[in-house]
Amino acid sequence: MEKKLEVKDLVISFRTSNGKVQAVRNVSFDLLKGETLAIVGESGSGKSVTSKAILGILAGNSIIEGGEIIYDGKDLLKISEDEFHKIRGDKIAMVFQDPMSSLNPIVKIGRQLTEAMILKGKVRQRESRTNFNSYLKKLNQYMITAHSGNKTAAAITAQCKNFDKFEYKHLELEKAYNIAYEAANEAIAELESLVFELDKKVDKDISFRTEQVCSMAKKSCHTYVVKEKEQALLELVKDLRAKVKAEKKRKEYRDVIQIMNAMLDILKEAVALPQPNFFSMGYYLTYAKEPLPELPVEELNAFLRKYLDDNFMLEFISDAKTALLYTAEQSYAEQKKAIDLLKTNKEVFGRERLDKSECMAAYHSCVKQVMATVDPLAIVKDNLTYTFGVSLRSELNRYFAGFSKNKKEEARYKKQKAKWDRSFAKGKEPDWQVVPASYTDFEQIKTTIAAQFDRLIEHYEERIRLRTERDYDAETVAVIDYLKENASGVVEKVTKRVAKNKAIKLMEEVGIPEPRKRYNQYPFEFSGGMRQRIVIAIALAANPDILICDEPTTALDVTIQAQILELINKLKKERNISVIFITHDLGVVANMADRVAVMYAGKIVEYGTAQEIFYESAHPYTWALLSSMPDLDTNEKLDAIPGTPPNMIYPPVGDAFAARNKYALKIDFEKQPPMFRITDTHYAATWLLHPSAPKVEPPKSITSRIERMKAKNGRNEVEDGRE
Amino acid sequence: MEENKEVLLKVDHLCQYFSGFKAVDDVSFEIKKGEVFGLVGESGCGKTTTGRSIIKLYNITSGDIFFKGVRISAGVMSYRQDILKKKQDYKEKVAAGGNKEELKRELNAFIAEKKKLIKAAKNDQKNCDKEYAKKRIRELNETYTSLIEKAVGEEKERLQKEYKKELYKAKHTRLVTQIQMIFQDPIASLDPRLTVREIISEGLIIQGEKDKEVINKKVYEMLELVGLVPEHASRYPHEFSGGQRQRIGIARAIIMNPDLIIADEPVSALDVSVQAQVINLLNDLREKFGLTIMFIAHDLSVVKYFSDRIGVMYFGKLVELAPSDELFLNPLHPYTKSLLSAIPLPDPVYEKKRVRITYNPLAEHDYSVDQPSLREIKPGHFIHCNEAEFKKYQSELK
Repeated sequence: MEKKLEVKDLVISFRTSNGKVQAVRNVSFDLLKGETLAIVGESGSGKSVTSKAILGILAGNSIIEGGEIIYDGKDLLKISEDEFHKIRGDKIAMVFQDPMSSLNPIVKIGRQLTEAMILKGKVRQRESRTNFNSYLKKLNQYMITAHSGNKTAAAITAQCKNFDKFEYKHLELEKAYNIAYEAANEAIAELESLVFELDKKVDKDISFRTEQVCSMAKKSCHTYVVKEKEQALLELVKDLRAKVKAEKKRKEYRDVIQIMNAMLDILKEAVALPQPNFFSMGYYLTYAKEPLPELPVEELNAFLRKYLDDNFMLEFISDAKTALLYTAEQSYAEQKKAIDLLKTNKEVFGRERLDKSECMAAYHSCVKQVMATVDPLAIVKDNLTYTFGVSLRSELNRYFAGFSKNKKEEARYKKQKAKWDRSFAKGKEPDWQVVPASYTDFEQIKTTIAAQFDRLIEHYEERIRLRTERDYDAETVAVIDYLKENASGVVEKVTKRVAKNKAIKLMEEVGIPEPRKRYNQYPFEFSGGMRQRIVIAIALAANPDILICDEPTTALDVTIQAQILELINKLKKERNISVIFITHDLGVVANMADRVAVMYAGKIVEYGTAQEIFYESAHPYTWALLSSMPDLDTNEKLDAIPGTPPNMIYPPVGDAFAARNKYALKIDFEKQPPMFRITDTHYAATWLLHPSAPKVEPPKSITSRIERMKAKNGRNEVEDGRE
Repeated sequence: MEENKEVLLKVDHLCQYFSGFKAVDDVSFEIKKGEVFGLVGESGCGKTTTGRSIIKLYNITSGDIFFKGVRISAGVMSYRQDILKKKQDYKEKVAAGGNKEELKRELNAFIAEKKKLIKAAKNDQKNCDKEYAKKRIRELNETYTSLIEKAVGEEKERLQKEYKKELYKAKHTRLVTQIQMIFQDPIASLDPRLTVREIISEGLIIQGEKDKEVINKKVYEMLELVGLVPEHASRYPHEFSGGQRQRIGIARAIIMNPDLIIADEPVSALDVSVQAQVINLLNDLREKFGLTIMFIAHDLSVVKYFSDRIGVMYFGKLVELAPSDELFLNPLHPYTKSLLSAIPLPDPVYEKKRVRITYNPLAEHDYSVDQPSLREIKPGHFIHCNEAEFKKYQSELK
């Protein structure tokens, strides 16, 4: 599965008047496409700080001390603010905790929803155009270079130029169809609820609503939606209007219901019809210069497809495939060279004391070679190749700046210590503590650099090994899709009206009733759950890749919470987005998460799939979290976690959780535990997993709950779930 | 639930309207001494309003609230409506050709009777403390006069002194101070400009306690009781974490030695681990002092764990009321079913399969003919339904 986001060794601290608070300490995780990762922990455990770092909205007093957040070939911690503008809200969006404070109270909902769309619209259009043009140019160029047949370069160029001409027609057709199709769907939904309500004899502004239904039904008359029965439908609409008017006084709606049911039948039949292929239809209408043949939709689709393939597509695909093969081969050759170069240069960075000029020379030559391995026609960027230079450079800078920094730090520490000692000698115990000196660790930097080299070399070797398994046909299709997407991006203009329609559609998607009316209201006219839906709609307006939800349901009650969670799950499936879900409620996690990371005092203490965390958790903190919340069968006293989280200005030397831990060993107070591997997906940082540690069973309340749950779910299904 | 327990609080047909909006509509329940009564429902269903009406933060629109047998709050709207209805009735009867004189007399008598009730209600609403003080004084008189008569010498003097002190206390105690509230938001409910000592002792001082030693002793005692240390007394609220602040809020309520505590979502704003600490604390206090608690929350797992009986509210109406085990075992009202189906549990397999039931009042009920009311379907299990539904639910129970 494709990795969307990688966080590596993230270290963040905050400068405060009392000292440096270490909020996040060496956090690493990755996020796959289309999965939900839940980050669980108490407040102050650093989960929100991590998510804010991903979005680049950390507070001003934060210091990013190290680590990488890699997204789309970029390290988000090192790019400029201008570059971040293209990512924040557009590719990575966030739903905040408090729906009361994350909406502007004096701006109407509609405006807040469309604001970003309109602002981004032009930028997107421009971006799509450059993307489309540059990619097509590159493709064209490599098609010509790679081509061995008797086709001239000019012919290939002309063929490439064909690509975007018919896109306009395609989108125009599709838009008209979509309007009709959606109108039909809306009419069906409204009619169903009207029939239901009339049946129950509760009539609320029937005449207005029937008028709306009628206009929607009229809109749905389109060649490919309601065509044959168009006349019948229009007749029915006329009847309905007359009948509702006539029955206004008597309120006897039996006939009306009959007419509505007849309309429902027609519309439902229409919606079930297959959808024509507008892409090929656009091509046919643009180039064939002939009217469409009269055929049923399925046959028409086949005919158009064949026309497109014969005249353009097959040839284009085969040429594109040759080009892809050619560049891929080139890239492999460069990668081989790069491996050799990296291996020879690695030794320069492993010396006792690094030499600045030598290092810089090696750095430049390496980065040049590594960048040469980039496949110009690859759509998915290779993260490691792109970030290698930046991260190597930042490590080197840290190394060479470290000498003077260490001196300064030592001087500061000595001064502070002397002051403390002086006042202590006077018999006073100062109410402040000496902040221990934090020196730059040169050895650690060198190991990081070596690891970077190894990682890249390994990565290239693996790619070369797997070269035979690459599916070039699928890649060609992906290329065509990419071009199509950008072409439609060029054509699509976001005007105020378009944005409004889109916003209303979004509001419907997130389950807000009467979106047209709601569009012109202010936030205070919405309840908490509705506001949170609006916040989600705003986050989704830009169609992001990654959605970060920071405790989205903590302020809401159970029923609304269930609705919001269902909504997020539904959207995740429909749009195939990745979700980072931050919460402290384990019940919610069980519902949402594919994988779970448990955080405590700025560190990830346990990491695994939802099944593993809930059924086979290994860290005492996870146990404590699980047993401190009651479920429906809990009767005994709750195992509350005693005490409070440690003060992160002076983080404990050993395991941060040791002081509150019933199962703490002696070593927990002295040394931080490493991540122990339990299975390939399940890791936990506790000394209890060390081979020589005493065997400890999880608390009884958890084991008994799991057993109860297993009995409830049926043993077999639990087994199925684990696979 | 044992039947012989004393009823501490009785809410009778409570209505609370805000300019026509029915926040609480015809809610009746009883809370017995020593039990925890949970009130659940989605936000905006009127559970907090019910709590606030009981503690007299609002003047109620209609209905009565009895605390320790004294009517502490009474609304008059229902009487007024009765009068209006009677007048309408009278007009109709006259138009139909009834005996005008006799009907008029009947009407006037009816109105006079209702007006008396209105006056009584207004009097109770305003002077419930005086009534209670009178009752207390009567009780004291009974106990002490006989004691003082019997006693001789120093003992007599001591008793007389004690009697005077008690009388003073009885005159100045207010009935409503025996109901205390713990608020939802531990940040907003503490005055940031007062020290913890001032916050906790405020009620005591208002009640007339002047001795600083006594106040300090009591404050320290309370702080230790809720798991804080006496040194915390001189600090300000912002120096505490959310869980600690909620503990201060609890100490402030406990120090008045209340009989009933209304806990309005005391744990909703807290972290999981702190939630458990606060729930355990409330449980301990309940065992220690025999407190009666009305627990308002939307987290059903917590309510189930903590309460003896649970009332479910939906749009101002109490739709189901049952002992907690019974409610979770045999939920009858469709809204309760939908609420129970929305509880997330820490179990991924169960969660993947959980199907949420949606509640649509229009589709579920047909109240066009028969109006619903709260009926007892099983001892202790009440449900809001009409006759037809009552039969249906009964067959479901079997």
